[in-house]
Amino acid sequence: MPKVTINDRTVEVEAGTNVIDAGLKAGVLVPHYCYHPRLTVVGQCRMCLVEITDNGKKMPKLQTACSSYVTKDGWSVRTDTPEVAEAQKGMMEFFLINHPLDCPICDQAGECGLQDYSFKHGVAFSRFQYEDKRTYPGRERIPLGANVVLNMNRCIQCTRCIRFTEEVAGTGELGFFNRGARVEIGTFPGKELSNPLATCVVDICPVGALTSTRFRFAERVWYLDKKPSICTGCEVGCNITMEQRRGDIKRYKPRFNVEVNDYWMCDYGRSSFERYKKLPRLTSPRVRAEGGNGHAPVVSTGWSQALDAVHRGIAGAAGTGEIAFLGSGFLTTEEAFLFARLADLMGAKNRSVPVDLGPERTIPRYKRPPITGREAAPNRRGAELAGLAGGGDLLHGDGAARCAVLVVCDSDFGQAAYDPETVARLRRAKLLVVFGWSDSPLAQAADVALPVAHHGEKEGTFVNVEWRVQRFERAFPPTGQVRPALDVLSDLLSRFEAGWSQLSAATVFDRLASELPAFAGLSWHRLPATGAALHVPEAQPKLSDQGAETAREASQ
Amino acid sequence: MAAKFEPVLTRNVGKPEALTLKGYRQLGGYEGLAKALTMEPDAVIDEVKKSGLRGRGGAGFPAGMKWSFIPKGKDKPKYLVCNADESEPGTFKDRLLMENDPHQLIEGCAICCFAVSAATCYIYIRGEYTKSAVILERALKEAYDAGILGDNVLGSGFKLNMYVHRGAGAYICGEETGMLESLEGKRGQPRVKPPFPAVVGAFGAPTVINNVETLCNVPHIITRGADWFKSIGTDEKNTGPKLYAISGHVDRPGTYEHPIGITFREMLDAAGGMWHGRQLKAFIPGGASAPILKPDQIDLKMDFDTVAKAGSMLGSAAVIVMDETTCMVRSVARLSKFFNHESCGQCTPCREGTNWMELVLDRLEHGEGTERDSQLLLSICKNIGGQSLCALGDAAIGPVKSLVDRFPEEIEQHVRNRACPFPRPRYFENGA
Repeated sequence: MPKVTINDRTVEVEAGTNVIDAGLKAGVLVPHYCYHPRLTVVGQCRMCLVEITDNGKKMPKLQTACSSYVTKDGWSVRTDTPEVAEAQKGMMEFFLINHPLDCPICDQAGECGLQDYSFKHGVAFSRFQYEDKRTYPGRERIPLGANVVLNMNRCIQCTRCIRFTEEVAGTGELGFFNRGARVEIGTFPGKELSNPLATCVVDICPVGALTSTRFRFAERVWYLDKKPSICTGCEVGCNITMEQRRGDIKRYKPRFNVEVNDYWMCDYGRSSFERYKKLPRLTSPRVRAEGGNGHAPVVSTGWSQALDAVHRGIAGAAGTGEIAFLGSGFLTTEEAFLFARLADLMGAKNRSVPVDLGPERTIPRYKRPPITGREAAPNRRGAELAGLAGGGDLLHGDGAARCAVLVVCDSDFGQAAYDPETVARLRRAKLLVVFGWSDSPLAQAADVALPVAHHGEKEGTFVNVEWRVQRFERAFPPTGQVRPALDVLSDLLSRFEAGWSQLSAATVFDRLASELPAFAGLSWHRLPATGAALHVPEAQPKLSDQGAETAREASQ
Repeated sequence: MAAKFEPVLTRNVGKPEALTLKGYRQLGGYEGLAKALTMEPDAVIDEVKKSGLRGRGGAGFPAGMKWSFIPKGKDKPKYLVCNADESEPGTFKDRLLMENDPHQLIEGCAICCFAVSAATCYIYIRGEYTKSAVILERALKEAYDAGILGDNVLGSGFKLNMYVHRGAGAYICGEETGMLESLEGKRGQPRVKPPFPAVVGAFGAPTVINNVETLCNVPHIITRGADWFKSIGTDEKNTGPKLYAISGHVDRPGTYEHPIGITFREMLDAAGGMWHGRQLKAFIPGGASAPILKPDQIDLKMDFDTVAKAGSMLGSAAVIVMDETTCMVRSVARLSKFFNHESCGQCTPCREGTNWMELVLDRLEHGEGTERDSQLLLSICKNIGGQSLCALGDAAIGPVKSLVDRFPEEIEQHVRNRACPFPRPRYFENGA
């Protein structure tokens, strides 16, 4: 592999790597706008000009780093010479002369390529003293599609969005219109930017020209707290950054993982946090009062009373009837493991993980076939591996009627939790215990309802459609009486068996890794940021039978 | 230099019979092609190399060398694209050739295709050149009917298809990669180089791109030999006949054929001297993108290297002559307006810089400039120069830089008077 020296740092790169990527490897950021590793190199922003010396012979002009490929030894690149600095300064001036400089009202402010490079490479004053900056009257807030708004005045014509729709999304709705200084971005006549990946153009837009309708004016970005997480929209498990302020999730942004979602995620996934805001929240434990032959009202209580009630109910049911466990594809693998442990202790065979089948969500990937998810839950595989694959269909038929106790975790496992008929069917169990963040009709029907954390409030792992286990962090703590399900389950388990109290996701994961062959050799703290492939015998086992039957088309 | 120069390229101009295949053949046409077909393709390339023929489109790149860059072998088709997108302000030489002697161009294209084993040739013609396109189409049909083009060129077994492709009227499509994009049906904007068209050109295949005038020289080189061609011109590197399109304040503007390297004074005399006997104030030797020269260069030899040494370029040899009534600021402002209008808009320095230069020059012309504007213009030029994606950026700064360098007193006058000191010609009333 050829060696290249960038600002005195020598790195070995694969032949054909361009100087920007080689620079990143050497720890030198060559400023650039139009270059994106997944898009064709067009060399048009001219921001990445560098000085290249080929075996002691300086190239006559400055070269664009994006279109200069290292193919042999002997290249020495400098990004810090006076000529390069001068060129960068000149380019920044060109970018800004016609830019509206409306940072105070621009959503991109704080994460804007123009701001960043202006600080680093630009000058603090303008030599452009004309009132008539080039503007595009009437094109300041053009909706390109349902999710993306264009402000042409802010555009720096890098064409990343055009190339994205052409080369990644494959839909090609966007084009360059007009010429010279009047050139503009737009949709072709009769088309709108409505492909499933449309909002990715907002992410790759280096400036505030393209903004997301979902995030427009929602928050100044410097107030956002960001945590690495996993999208729960489907089983693909796109890596995301969950960005929130004080427990209010503002947006999901894709986080690079070449094995899963590359740089992209779908618009549906981006909207998946909205249900945490839209649906009513279960806020405190509720237990049905004594007496009244099961028709007494449920009342709010404290956690210990609620867990006592569950303990009493489960322990008392031994011998009087079946105990069934209904899991969910939204449980973390660790939660599912504890849930399954509880079922093991009770000798319960009837356990299942029902998931909805939704529309297919496909993410294109680099040098790999696209990844597709059909199930509308992120972790059916993890839950089943952790021990929730059993048998029994509770959602149809009268299986629930035979149950002395039915434990459901969680109350938002799928559309069925909102379907009156299914809820009535499940309600026929003698004791219905429901964990959940959502106060769904199922939770309202429960004898014991336990408020647990949603995805943003807990940490854990998900196993995606390709059997890759991925870790996500807690973005913010749950408020009020809400506790993570892991916490509640370990509390409950310790009432039956010693050694389960005060468990963290890390200890549970390490324990399940030592017990389950699929997770052999993995450890929470050494799990790579990109996740790890599990040792699953069949690469692509089918959706478990009862899962397929109970699944229904998600309406979203 | 021969005392009496026999026109070569324009020898058939004024002979309407040259428009028909029969007439062209009677005038000695298609002998070059017939001769070339008996030679080895490499021998044709060598002959053109030996002749020293340089590209007549502007850059002056040796044509034979360009052809030799085309990879041998048959794994990919190869293309010839003839650049007939003549849009440089002041240039109107290719039009003369296409309108008066279309078969000469077809013959040149055919020889080139044979030399580089290209089976397809596109003549990319400027959208506004309707007449040329019609004439060429007619000539092509005749050539096809006579078996000069098609599956069996002159019975040699060589297969060649030739098409006229009309542009939509964009200066940038005269840039070779912009032309290829346009030819492929895309937005006409230059590609990032490398790879060069000789490796990845039209439709991803190796492509030769030559100017009309360059290709018209080829049949003569083949028929009369490289040595004859080399006998015309200044030196080893500047050979052959050259068309000069002279316009502006001269008595008889038009396209003139001279041996390359004729002095500007001789050329001016051939065109009847200055219009109404006025004084020469400035001249542009090679089209709108060439830096402007002052009268002290009147004895300049108009060949590629000498003009370059004088701080300008021969370019397409479109000579624009200006007399003492010309306002240089206004002229350059108008040129800047052209480049701003024709910039494709993809790369930053050209898109923003040409626009800015036009604004500054406009302001100067209207007497609203300041003393600092000269420095500002130079600085903008510096930030565009060598840093744009294609040559349009460099072209745009040529006239501006020469204005600041060679006519600083005129800028000063505009600033001091707070107005343009020159009378405003009536034809500029719609804004300069």
